Amino acid sequence: MRTRRIGNTLAWQIFICAAVLAIWQWGYDLHAVVPWLVPDLLDPYFVSKPSQIFEHFLILSCLKSKAGVFNGWFNGDFAKCMVRNENNLWIATAITLKNTFFGFVTGVSSGFVAGLILGRSDRLSAIFQPFITAVNSIPRIALAPIIVLAFGIGDTSKIVTSWIVVVFLVFFNTFEGARSIDEGFINAARLLGASEWQITRTVVIPSTMAWVFASLSPAISFALIGVIVGEFIGAERGIGRLIIESEARAEASGMMVAVIVLMLVGVALSAVIWRLQAHLLRWQQHNMVE
Amino acid sequence: MNVQSLSADLSDGQSSVRRIDVRGLSKTFQLAGTAIEAVRDVSFGVRRGEFVALLGPSGSGKSTVLNMIATLIKPTSGQILIDGVPVVAGKATPNVGYIFQRDTLFPWRTVADNIGYGLELAGIPEAERKERIAACVAQAGLQGFEHAFPSALSGGMRQRAALMRTLVVEPQILLMDEPFGALDTHTKIDMHEVLLRIWEREQQTVLFVTHDLGEALTLADRIILFSARPGRIKDMFEVDFARPRDAVKVRETPRYAELFQHIWHSLGEEFVKGRNP
Repeated sequence: MRTRRIGNTLAWQIFICAAVLAIWQWGYDLHAVVPWLVPDLLDPYFVSKPSQIFEHFLILSCLKSKAGVFNGWFNGDFAKCMVRNENNLWIATAITLKNTFFGFVTGVSSGFVAGLILGRSDRLSAIFQPFITAVNSIPRIALAPIIVLAFGIGDTSKIVTSWIVVVFLVFFNTFEGARSIDEGFINAARLLGASEWQITRTVVIPSTMAWVFASLSPAISFALIGVIVGEFIGAERGIGRLIIESEARAEASGMMVAVIVLMLVGVALSAVIWRLQAHLLRWQQHNMVE
Repeated sequence: MNVQSLSADLSDGQSSVRRIDVRGLSKTFQLAGTAIEAVRDVSFGVRRGEFVALLGPSGSGKSTVLNMIATLIKPTSGQILIDGVPVVAGKATPNVGYIFQRDTLFPWRTVADNIGYGLELAGIPEAERKERIAACVAQAGLQGFEHAFPSALSGGMRQRAALMRTLVVEPQILLMDEPFGALDTHTKIDMHEVLLRIWEREQQTVLFVTHDLGEALTLADRIILFSARPGRIKDMFEVDFARPRDAVKVRETPRYAELFQHIWHSLGEEFVKGRNP
């Protein structure tokens, strides 16, 4: 019964994918016949079409030459293309991923530490509260041009942009988590002889973890957004740069390749976070059992 | 009736053998600008190896007294000595174990890791830790649940695990704040059995807060009865059932009924006062 329902769901999902791809690929061909049925937006000039996107993917990733011939792996054509096109899809993806990773890691760690310290100190949180509220009211993305101006068009400015969108998110979650720790746990630890540091390590951090993890999924998406926006403003390499280049040439297919790669990257990163979360928070899974 | 009231014995001259010595303890809470007097001038002692129950209606300050002894609450005035040394609020006293009203097992640690927590803090090597945890798990009848998280356990099992987390470090003084209050009657009596067997073997000094007269009679050597707010000591009763006690059978003796009735009226008055202050 259950397997049948899963099979059924999968069938529907495949059907929807196929339908969307088919309309995307051939839908605009009907525009000349029934213009009232097919919206102008389906024009391949704007949204390209799956076959063109795939073709463009092969070219951007150096698997195929611009002339449309498959590059040989062994005659060196692929390697030459990789060198010639310094923002090829592989490098662009690697650069964007690298900057996302650093933005995420620095944002999460600094947000976590700050949230923990302020969450556990009434005095510090009272002092910093208005500043945090003020800075938090700024749409962080608006700072991207300033950051690129300050840190240049290299990787640093992307990491900083990414950091600044991630850090607040993680900070607020950690802060709330540290505030809402059950005092009973802290008392229990203290009466069993725990020092302040042992309490932080064995009670405060583990019980804040659930809150921190709740912020990691959005944080990884935010980190990616930060990097892409940074690359839009000014960059030499990266997927954001690829999009800007294609846009300058009015190449919808190039932009679509970049967007699809970003989608896949986003899905992969979220999956990693989910896995990690499920493992580290496994103590929460039995909560319904009594 | 040979029931003996011990009110006259409040300030016996035996402080040298007292493990817990409470002198003139008072506590007034400030709640939203109003002063609430929870405990007024409470003095008593607990002898080495004695099992004493603090009995009273809710709001009679008995838990506040216990929490002051446990250093969780700072007294407004008065002094608490443990083995002759004054306790300091906020600083855990060595050798004192505390059992909470609701179990405060860490939900992110397995049963075994919860029980071993105190040993970890003390830096006991892992091999010895494992051995002592296994002994505690067996004692609490938690075999097979070592690697379960607390959320998968029943209320009784959780409270047994919590008891073991405190006992694993072998404290000589146990402070218990209505530890079985949330359990159903049956589980509660099971827990009484578990506690009595441990106490008979280890002979800890126990201070046990409860509002359940039956529980106090089953477990304690002596009952200190608290009045309704502000909490004062109203009376003391010696509970002279033979040891070792059987938590079920002790309730069937005529002496139990006699003591129960005697204390019941006194306790009942305070329940009424507590309801209509």
